[in-house]
Amino acid sequence: MENDSGLISTQNQWNFSEMKIQTKDHHRLWLVIFTMTACFNSYGQTAQQAMASRSDLWWAPGEDRPLPAYIEYANDYGRVGLLNASGTIITDGHPFFEPLGSNGRGCVTCHQPSDAMSISVPTIQQRWQDTHGADPLFAAIDGKDCPNLPQGEEESHSLLLKRGLFRVALPWPPKNAEAEFDIEVVRDPTGCNTDPVYGLDGERHEISVYRRPRPAINLRYVSSSSFGVSPFIGKTGMLATLDPDTGRPVNMNMMADARDVTLKQQAQSAAHGHMEVAQPLTPAQLSRIQEFELQLYGAQAWSNGGGALNEPGGPSGIGPQAMANGSDGVLGNNTTRYVFPMENKWADLPEGSSEEEASRNAFLESVQRGHDNFFYRTFWIKDATHINTVGLGNPIKRTCATCHGMHMTGMDTANGWMDLGTTNYPWALEPPESPWSQEAPEMPLFKVSCRADLPPHAFLGRTIYTQDPGRALISGKCEDVGAIVIQQFRGLSARAPYFSNGSAANLRELVDFYDRRFNIRYTEQEKTDLVNFLSIL
Amino acid sequence: MKPTIKTLISLSLASAAGSLIAAPDPGERISFVSCPIVRDTVSVPCWLSDYDGDTYYLTIQSDVSATVQPPLLGHQVLVEGVVTDEPAICGGIVMEDVHLTAMPELDANCNTMLPVDERYVIDFNPRPPGPSAGRLAFDPAPGTPRVEPPPPEGPQTFDIYFDFDKGISFRHPRFLQQIFTTAGKLKPSRMTVTGVRGAHLLSNGTLLQEAQNTGRRRAEEVAGLLQDAGIEVNTDIKWIDARAEADGIDDWQSRRVTVTLTP
Ligand code: HEC
Ligand code: HEC
Repeated sequence: MENDSGLISTQNQWNFSEMKIQTKDHHRLWLVIFTMTACFNSYGQTAQQAMASRSDLWWAPGEDRPLPAYIEYANDYGRVGLLNASGTIITDGHPFFEPLGSNGRGCVTCHQPSDAMSISVPTIQQRWQDTHGADPLFAAIDGKDCPNLPQGEEESHSLLLKRGLFRVALPWPPKNAEAEFDIEVVRDPTGCNTDPVYGLDGERHEISVYRRPRPAINLRYVSSSSFGVSPFIGKTGMLATLDPDTGRPVNMNMMADARDVTLKQQAQSAAHGHMEVAQPLTPAQLSRIQEFELQLYGAQAWSNGGGALNEPGGPSGIGPQAMANGSDGVLGNNTTRYVFPMENKWADLPEGSSEEEASRNAFLESVQRGHDNFFYRTFWIKDATHINTVGLGNPIKRTCATCHGMHMTGMDTANGWMDLGTTNYPWALEPPESPWSQEAPEMPLFKVSCRADLPPHAFLGRTIYTQDPGRALISGKCEDVGAIVIQQFRGLSARAPYFSNGSAANLRELVDFYDRRFNIRYTEQEKTDLVNFLSIL
Repeated sequence: MKPTIKTLISLSLASAAGSLIAAPDPGERISFVSCPIVRDTVSVPCWLSDYDGDTYYLTIQSDVSATVQPPLLGHQVLVEGVVTDEPAICGGIVMEDVHLTAMPELDANCNTMLPVDERYVIDFNPRPPGPSAGRLAFDPAPGTPRVEPPPPEGPQTFDIYFDFDKGISFRHPRFLQQIFTTAGKLKPSRMTVTGVRGAHLLSNGTLLQEAQNTGRRRAEEVAGLLQDAGIEVNTDIKWIDARAEADGIDDWQSRRVTVTLTP
């Protein structure tokens, strides 16, 4: 089925047996819809240079078009597939899709189907161009570097436009914990943290940090309580946050800082914080959002280099249908379940009978090597709080999958916050400061001073410089400064930039970050393989 | 770590004339603070520490289920153990009853990482330096029956042990959980929480004490967590100083909190 924005979709519940036909069908539709530079390979498939313009892809809140049971959207690496396990979603009147907020936003404003239910920088920039900055996406509350800046001027929205970051304002000191440290503002390029209203010492007693929207797909995995849930948090021994509805502890694996722990709680605070709703969402609205989120799956479905990612007989952990089939809350850093099960399906493929087939097979072999690298290639993981400090030792000789161990998503299985160094000095991305540099720092910088009568942070001591204290803003703990909850790895191709602070502009930069951070010294081939692997998740 | 004159001499003597240096006797208890050293091997890394001219083997890298977990580079380690006459591992004297804790303050000198040296091979390897085979290194074999503890009767006492100067950490969830579960069955009328400021008598005669307020801080933290988790009973919070306990024998046990639930 096609719809008015020119996308490919099917109305029916999608499954493997139907897939062949539908895949063919898709390509016919792609041709019909995009009478563009379609060229064919020997399989009669279009090479995916065809891209709908980003303007056509925009999903505005209140548009009453259905979200089909299955739909694919093009991105730089191929196409991402979204799968509604419960069938077509009628979005008319649906609280995820309606502009419930007083600022005209819906959840969908920042969680766009074309971007794996996050939002990429190219999409944000396109929206800016198309609406001259008037879209509710750019609302003053958090779509601007600070609400007090002039609306509609590019500079006022620089972090959103350049790095895809929304302002997240959190109470300081924390609401439910005693702070073990003081925070000073060292650098305030947005002006918000020293503002008399919005600043740390301002009327509202807030701290502003800047974060990427996390993908609202596969949330059955993100919110799973099947593993590692106890009244006491596994990594710290502190009390786990309770589900306000059931009073039971839950897996704290959501949001960069786990401040919200259930989908309903999260939706309520998003409605309040991002959408400025006048009245809290009703229980019926919350249930509907949760229901929608728990049946929505997403993953890359087509790879420009490797073709269809969900062919029957292919790797069992790849593609949107795999996400719908998979078990949540399962440890995957083992050779029984695996993080991303691939069964070596793409190892040692035949040469291929045509150039296209040869190049496709070579690409898939690179993906397989990238997987094996992720899973087996050891390096020294050093000075990363909540991994080196939880009994494994510092350093530990292990692999990417040590931190990214959850089956199917690559998240941490429980209480997934860790300090990888993305926001903390000295590893956080900072421009060179020199008399010759034109680059101005974009992110705020805070100085955290930990109490002298308590043990220091294990690797950073009692004085820590950070762009975002992360979990510590909620827990008040010095050891949590810069600890960020790991996101799922799915739909990566659709939603650059990466990391909570958007500091890796693309997958290659993400891999380069690790190469520097842990002194891995990857070869060029290893980097390419890893990027190819991440691009098909 | 910079080799001290003494280690240099002992190394040269050892190579010149076999072992002339009096290594500690098997059965001897030792306790010292020194930098940890990590040595890579072709499988998992091993952890060592130099003290008084000798190199001690501490543990190997495995996973979170290990009873002796590796220390942290960037910090000194407080080592307790009993010397054995077992063959050296990774070039280090093997001890039993090993207890390790990282000293809390940062020490940039503790940064020694040694490369693979094929003379040192780890021939036991419960967890390779990557994915496991499906269960944690030291977990009981699948199918091992779980023994349910008998229902609690009378006062129940729990000791939980801490890292040097530290409060509640990753080490404690299962112990807190155990107290919590027992409280659910026992329905206590009273809880006593005693925090202890630990003290160590090191082999060189030094008395090493935890920070002044440690006992109190621990007692208040543990009591607060248990109360907030739902053990809402009258609670006595006390703290003591373990200075008098320090005798060089299992001094790690002085870094503790004792919780008593009284029916
Ligand atoms: C203004 C943009 C914006 C709007 C509108 C918005 N979100 Fe988000 N969403 C974000 C950002 C930014 C984060 C990450 C925040 C953080 O990490 O602190 C996020 C995170 C999430 C997450 C967490 C996913 C994970 O894996 O941790 C979920 C779920 C989510 N949003 C759902 C919703 C729902 C439901 C609504 C509507 C009620 C909504 N969002 C509205 C920007 C938005
Ligand atoms: C020390 C633990 C650790 C190790 C080892 C590790 N990661 Fe991560 N990873 C994290 C954390 C923490 C985050 C979230 C950081 C943030 O958002 O600031 C993350 C995030 C990611 C993301 C998600 C980014 C996004 O925005 O969705 C990807 C992809 C990723 N890592 C890939 C890798 C690869 C590839 C390796 C191996 C080279 C690796 N990681 C090794 C801890 C780790």
